[in-house]
Amino acid sequence: MNQVDASSFHEIGRSVRRKEDFRLLTGKGHFADDYNMPGQAWTVMVRSPHAHARIVRIDAAKARAMPGVLAVFSGADCAADGLRPFNHNAVPSTKYDMKLTGPGGGSVFVGRHMLLPADKARYFGEAVAMVVAESREQAEDAADAVAVDYEPLRFLERTEDAVVPGAPAVWDEAPNNVLVDAFFGDHAATERAFAAADHVIGHEFHVGRIMPLPLEPRAGLAHYDAASGNYTLYFSTGGPGIVRQRRQFAAALAIDQEKLRLVALDTGGNFGTKNRPYVEHALALWAARKLGRPIKYRATRHESMLTEYQGRDLATKVELAMRKDGRFLAMRAENVMNVGAHCVSLSPLAKGAGLITGSYDIPAATLRARGIFTNTVPNNVMRSSGRPEVTFAIERLIDMAAAEFGFDRIALRRQNLIRPEQFPYTNAVGSTYDSATFEANMDLGMKIADWGGYEKRRQEAAARGRLRGLGFANYIESSTGSPRERAEITVTPTGRVEVVLGTQPSGQSHETSFAQVAADLLCVPIDNVEIILGDTEVVKEGGGSHSGRSMRHAATVLSLAAPELIEQGKALAADILGVAPADVDFAAGRFVSTRANRTFDFLELAKEAQARGGVLKVVKDNEMHTPVFPNGCAVCEVEVDPATGRVHLTRYAAVDDVGRCINPMTVDGQTHGSIAHGVGEALFEQICLDPASGRPLTESFEEYGMPSSTTLPPLTTEIVEVLSPTNPLGIKSGSEGATAGAPAAIISGLVDALKDFGIRDIAMPATPLAVWQAIENAKAGSQANNKARHGSWKWRA
Amino acid sequence: MDDFNYHEPRTLAEAAVVLHAARNGVYIAGGMSLIPALKHRRVRPSDLIDLRLIDGLAGIRREADTLVIGAMTKHADVAGLDIVRNSIPDLARLVGEMADPSVRNRATLGGSIAHADPASDYPPALLALEAIIVTDTRRIAAAEFFTGPFTTGLRKGEIITAVNFPIPDNAAYVKFANVASRYAIVGVFVARRAGKVCVAVTGAKPCVFRFGEMERALENSFTPDAIKAIVMSAQGLTADIHGTPEYRAHLIGVMAQRAVASAAAKPRPA
Amino acid sequence: MARVSIKVNGKDEACEIKPRTLLVEFLRDHLGLTGTHVGCDTTQCGCCIVLIDGKAVNSCTMLAVQANGADVTTIEGLADGGKLHPMQAAFREHHALQCGFCTPGFIMSALELVAKKKNPTEADIRYGLLGNMCRCTGYENIIKAVKAGAEAMARVG
Repeated sequence: MNQVDASSFHEIGRSVRRKEDFRLLTGKGHFADDYNMPGQAWTVMVRSPHAHARIVRIDAAKARAMPGVLAVFSGADCAADGLRPFNHNAVPSTKYDMKLTGPGGGSVFVGRHMLLPADKARYFGEAVAMVVAESREQAEDAADAVAVDYEPLRFLERTEDAVVPGAPAVWDEAPNNVLVDAFFGDHAATERAFAAADHVIGHEFHVGRIMPLPLEPRAGLAHYDAASGNYTLYFSTGGPGIVRQRRQFAAALAIDQEKLRLVALDTGGNFGTKNRPYVEHALALWAARKLGRPIKYRATRHESMLTEYQGRDLATKVELAMRKDGRFLAMRAENVMNVGAHCVSLSPLAKGAGLITGSYDIPAATLRARGIFTNTVPNNVMRSSGRPEVTFAIERLIDMAAAEFGFDRIALRRQNLIRPEQFPYTNAVGSTYDSATFEANMDLGMKIADWGGYEKRRQEAAARGRLRGLGFANYIESSTGSPRERAEITVTPTGRVEVVLGTQPSGQSHETSFAQVAADLLCVPIDNVEIILGDTEVVKEGGGSHSGRSMRHAATVLSLAAPELIEQGKALAADILGVAPADVDFAAGRFVSTRANRTFDFLELAKEAQARGGVLKVVKDNEMHTPVFPNGCAVCEVEVDPATGRVHLTRYAAVDDVGRCINPMTVDGQTHGSIAHGVGEALFEQICLDPASGRPLTESFEEYGMPSSTTLPPLTTEIVEVLSPTNPLGIKSGSEGATAGAPAAIISGLVDALKDFGIRDIAMPATPLAVWQAIENAKAGSQANNKARHGSWKWRA
Repeated sequence: MDDFNYHEPRTLAEAAVVLHAARNGVYIAGGMSLIPALKHRRVRPSDLIDLRLIDGLAGIRREADTLVIGAMTKHADVAGLDIVRNSIPDLARLVGEMADPSVRNRATLGGSIAHADPASDYPPALLALEAIIVTDTRRIAAAEFFTGPFTTGLRKGEIITAVNFPIPDNAAYVKFANVASRYAIVGVFVARRAGKVCVAVTGAKPCVFRFGEMERALENSFTPDAIKAIVMSAQGLTADIHGTPEYRAHLIGVMAQRAVASAAAKPRPA
Repeated sequence: MARVSIKVNGKDEACEIKPRTLLVEFLRDHLGLTGTHVGCDTTQCGCCIVLIDGKAVNSCTMLAVQANGADVTTIEGLADGGKLHPMQAAFREHHALQCGFCTPGFIMSALELVAKKKNPTEADIRYGLLGNMCRCTGYENIIKAVKAGAEAMARVG
């Protein structure tokens, strides 16, 4: 794709302070719980106290008779009204996605996400009925009083238990609980390479189930106008954004999407969990019509932690074949995703599938990718979905190979990296990487981390009785996402450049960074640019914010729209000046002609347009499928207190190639947060279920550990800009990459700290208990540490 | 949260009258444990009796060899005031590491010990320092006060007014905190006064307890080495996602040795 | 019902409320001050922190009746018209907020922290913000902003 000339950029590449900040800093944001209407009623869900149970009978007579109660609805009521299951578009289907298939190559059965199930509850906390009452407290009281008869069934938490013959079926349509079973790569070539290899290293890893946990709990206000038949939902969301969610909500409610307006202005964090619609919002819209009242819903934190879509949970068995000089020859992997009770997204499985060989030139590879139903909360994309899992596998495997066969772990990586001249590079499972300078990333990362000063720090720690370790990981990730985006640019006579886009930020600074792009492309002052998002009254098309797509798609469609608007301006200026359009130039932000003295900028021209009854406006659509591949590396140092198992992360440095960087301040900021998510995954975050009941034991911030201001070290980050040839501004993506590398780097450092115990691997999260147990086991000579926590998978079973 | 009647008595006597008259009355001090319990409907009182307007319940004073801390004294004051730092520095430090600053601005000594969370930090301090809990009707030794998880020796309607902390010769508290809640997975408070040693452990059992075997060894030699070989049985220790009984047993030893080392290095301020 | 009279951002607010009304509900639902947020129900995230008589307090773990007679400052009470308070300005300058949901609570905690210690060290700031959680920033820029905000506040006195 043609690149935009960057020589005239003033705003792009500058750390412009944010347009969003004033309202957010003064308490004037519009978050989901900030909307209220006169006459609103409240809804509270009745939730299953079983992880898997048949719903025998729901008796709401007592609840209906309670003070303030307006209605109690169940799955049968939804069915009677013709409500439909959500269509989550769970199977990735854009041109370059890895193609996942059902067992035997057929289509994928994803389950049915009913707004309220009438047959079974399939995870602990699933909503089985809704109560509407005048006040939230009355609704809570009534929800407690709804009597549900359950027939508890055996529940499944882990994928290896779900595929055992005789395991209960989460869905009758998938009797063995397998929904995806797909194969990639060249099997014969891989087997030949393994047969000829000098060394083979293999291991099983499990990247555990975690929660994205944005700090804003779900909430929303639903309104129905009987006169017009129009529905409105005020809420917050993310991911695919309001355009797709409007279609999804309308389809579930069996209404025309033109009758539904979604408003989502400020979103208090997402990280993936808000990327799919929630039943409570749809049910509130439905109840608003049935009861003729605005309906408000607000989840408690506890409720959010029981039911928000979760992330990760991939078991992977990997093997790497090497020559005795260290050259990688082939890889095989078997990835198993626990999709939960029904499938809302297979993106993590597909994304990871395309990246199993990481940043390395590995000539042959095969992969078997499976998805399995269990009785757990549906598993969704989470920040950098799919990439941290496979990055963890290949990077840890390389550390293990180095230790096992006597290579230096850095030299082994350097030897096998894809070299700059190999791009575009198609890896052994078919992904074509656009551009990267991997070894330069490594050099820079080791430099900013003061790799050379590590040994001194290690000795100083040892004098304090602490075991210090040095960790390293490379990463590559893929940014794809919804392929369509639209830009509508209007220059108003009042001097504003209004830009409507269909992305859905949740903290990513779109109002600022998109304005930087628009300002430079149109040569207008950035203060005059206003980015408009988040209301389907004005946003009619667009793909939202996920998979690192927003800036790349927004900047691309803006770079296509801007020349058209400039042409319009030339035509108008020519008309005013009485010259031919070809005689008008657009230079340094002004429309000029050698045949006239008068010149215009866009804002002056907009006034002229109005005077002539016209408007300067362009609507441009773009469809772009080609993925880009952000990449980088991470270096960290940890200290272990061997007496307690406590791990302190003491230094962290990250290098991220984001392609062209529009706003370094916001990209760095998102990198910091991205690192924190990876740190949480490596050291603190885990979801634990009570083995007897399936009830989550990590249902509050008191039990679910996350990084804090005292457990994160200062973060050193550097941005690398290797422009991608795939789009006009050379953009890749920021904000997710650092998450991909962090868990591998941290566990690398931890294992380095513990290597004298003979420890090769530690399961995540490396809580003090887990580390202490690993040390104790190592002292006792047990090999338990060196096996992954989850069971083994047979090849081509 | 359920509806309740709210009362603001001005005297202890008035508070007790209101409580006894109520169907299910509950006192509230800072409310940092009680209000979450109300929100989750784990506690559903008919009447809430706020002690905040009763004079004389907050404040810290020293009486000879005793530090007297009023029941309504906030954690922030215990952690921050010189009178505590100069007499029992590790008590100030212990409180200064409880929860977080905004919680410490509201939470009170009386409320905390009446709640008697088995992983809380105040109970081992009271137990190891052999503190006396003073109520509106009597004085209770710490050893009689903490009777089980979230239960105390308080009678219905009894109000804690202060806690008397005898000032030790040496004391230290070392906690191994849960990274999420910052409650103790295991915390050990060691105190020595006139040759007598008390070792109190929190977080490891359903109730705070003293570890007599370590106390006897430390009375012979107040050094970490003296207790190195003493291992607590894992039997009866708490098991949860943060620690197995064996891990907690091990941590008791580690925390106790560190507490002794710290206490030995910090003799009583002149 | 109970009658409360609370000074909020310098204005006396008196009204009849149910005793079970949390301070945060009083602020958000009765006064429409929606800048104070609720992020958890176990007093850990700090999104609801306001200043009561100058002290940072979790408004979701306090009944409005307990604040009767108190002087409450919320995030809405800091800026002077269009001019940000130096701590707010520092958060903007150092990009210490992304989604902005936790931000009001951080700023209120930071203000008490600086009131207690005019020139806080990095460690003071990290420990002083333990009652506030952020999922977007990794805390890095928040620490920098609070340091800069403290310096700016010292300059303006």
